[in-house]
Amino acid sequence: MVVSTKIMLFATLRKKYGVRDLTVKCDGTIRSLIENASRILGARFLDEVYDRKLGKVREDIILMINGRNIKDLKGKIEIKDGDVISVFPPLAGG
Amino acid sequence: MGNILRVDLTAGTLKVEPLSEDIARKYIGGKGYSVYLIYQYLKEYESKGITQADIDPLGPKNVLIFATGPGTGVPGFPSSGRYHVMALKSPLTGSIGSGNSGGEWGPFLKFSGFDAVIVEGCSERPVYLSIVDGEAELRDASDLWGKNVFDTCRILKKKAGNKNTSVTCIGPAGENLARMACIVNDEHRAVGRTGLGAVMGSKKLKAIVVSGSKKVQVADPDRLKEVSKRCLDTMRKNSVTGEGLPTYGTAILINVINEAGGLPYKNWQTAVNPDADKISGETLAETYLTGRRACWGCTIGCGRVTSVKSGPFQILSSEGPEYESIWALGSSTGVKDLDAIVKANHYCDELGLDSISMGSTIAAAMELNERGHIPEEDLQGLDLRFGNAAALVEAVWRTAYKTGFGKYLALGSKKLCEIYGHPELSMSVKGLEMPAYDPRAMKGIGLTYATANRGGCHVTGYTVSPEILGIPEKIDPLTPEGKAKWAKTFQDFTCVVNSTVNCLFVTFALGAKDFAELLSAVTGWDLTEDEILKIGERIYNLERVILNKYGFDGKDDTLPKRLLEEPMPEGPAKGHVVELEKMREEYYELRGWVNGVPTEEKLKELEIEL
Repeated sequence: MVVSTKIMLFATLRKKYGVRDLTVKCDGTIRSLIENASRILGARFLDEVYDRKLGKVREDIILMINGRNIKDLKGKIEIKDGDVISVFPPLAGG
Repeated sequence: MGNILRVDLTAGTLKVEPLSEDIARKYIGGKGYSVYLIYQYLKEYESKGITQADIDPLGPKNVLIFATGPGTGVPGFPSSGRYHVMALKSPLTGSIGSGNSGGEWGPFLKFSGFDAVIVEGCSERPVYLSIVDGEAELRDASDLWGKNVFDTCRILKKKAGNKNTSVTCIGPAGENLARMACIVNDEHRAVGRTGLGAVMGSKKLKAIVVSGSKKVQVADPDRLKEVSKRCLDTMRKNSVTGEGLPTYGTAILINVINEAGGLPYKNWQTAVNPDADKISGETLAETYLTGRRACWGCTIGCGRVTSVKSGPFQILSSEGPEYESIWALGSSTGVKDLDAIVKANHYCDELGLDSISMGSTIAAAMELNERGHIPEEDLQGLDLRFGNAAALVEAVWRTAYKTGFGKYLALGSKKLCEIYGHPELSMSVKGLEMPAYDPRAMKGIGLTYATANRGGCHVTGYTVSPEILGIPEKIDPLTPEGKAKWAKTFQDFTCVVNSTVNCLFVTFALGAKDFAELLSAVTGWDLTEDEILKIGERIYNLERVILNKYGFDGKDDTLPKRLLEEPMPEGPAKGHVVELEKMREEYYELRGWVNGVPTEEKLKELEIEL
């Protein structure tokens, strides 16, 4: 199964990779999504966002699928066709 | 222990009193010590037969307290360039007045020889207070009355010789008693909330100038050096305090909060702003940013120096806007022109207005107007419609000078909406306009807004941190489960921060244990983590006792009807309302309160003597 998603980058990620958003195809898993995005953005994106040793998104990265942080999603995460993925580096304010 | 300066503006007298170590041990300083003093004033008034109802927020019985804490101005104490201001009564809310500011004024008050200044009474003519190396004096301010914040700061700083000096003051909004007027120090740093600038204006106190080079004494310099080094190192290595905030400032939140479906738009009719990216921290950094400005002794340096290079809203140099200001003046009003938002924010600083209450009140007026509730003759040509950038900017200065429709805006959103027969359109709690997070998309902040002592406030207990940012750990924003504990813990801990007094942003990296060690080193009290959280709880409860005296209780611990009954129309939180009752019940249980009132057992447990 191949799904097409829109990845949106914010803050330092947007500046570093020079794009606001990009279309990425994947097999519905987070790992495939980030690996495929890295093929477009460069290998360092993978290490910046994903912890290969632990096999999951880095603890301080905020990754949302349609506005829901993946840490708040219950069960197996399955990315669907047309999903919007927002990726933020660590940030705060108030 | 340091000294307090007590100023009676009615009599024109000044008195120096020592700080009490016993009180400081129980309430630390800053906000905590001020809450204690406010309670003593109320007790004294009661003994003279003066009830709280007799205290006119804009009259001589109101009292303003400017207070630092044991951390303020201590070299190496993390981000300790702050001070806290409180008033017996806020002219905006009718409840306790409270605000906090950075910049340099707090440390320089200490360097001038005082830990706190208490201002009683009202002067007949405009005055300013000058404190130089322990010598305090009231001086004529007739020639300053009418001047804006920037001129006032520059003139008074120059008069004091420009060195080792800081000025806190009011602008025309405070002089004209606009109810959301703020106090501004160092040109762009504001004691923003609850209308304390109007209290200062009612006292005819234009400014307080502090100059000095006295060193702040600490109990255990070696221990402080060691703890400070560790804490500052943690902050430097922390991705938020070490990189995120220094790089983008607070405005970086616009996109993440919007993506989570929680950025209130057009007076909270929804919380998904289609133009969020146009007014985001990223856009601000790309187009407007010219530099950074840190508060005294701060290693984070989140302050932005900005300019609007050309066009009708051109400004050669300004500071900010912060996240909350961009939201209030932009998203809440539906204005997507960042030039206009930067300009409106600049006017808020220049004229002395709280940008959150200002923007929210304009947004409420826009909704009232679009729904046809404001007669045309009242508007006097001001086209208050969502998205109208020019009307936004004009509305700000009209409010400060109370000209035309500005006289209605200057009352704040609660009174404005009551006048036009639709109180439900004021997005406020206890009369204070809520900040930039829609609790339908993050339930915990709804509980904080509802139960915050000073009213609709996010920095009383910033549960957005775990709910959205995942700090110190990630919790689901859309569930009400477990939020009561987070709200209570954050509220208590924030009381400690505001009494220390240092910046809340350090808590993205440091916890209660770090604060206990830092405070122990500075004071010599040997505090534990549990003890400081108990002090925080004590402060929050005494503040609540004062609120109860003013007639506020459980009925006021609530949210606007829109958030409780109108489901979020779109976005990740679509269909959600705030399940407040459930969270509040759990919260009261944890607090030991009944219907918003602390029980006798709770007060006894916290050693609060009434």
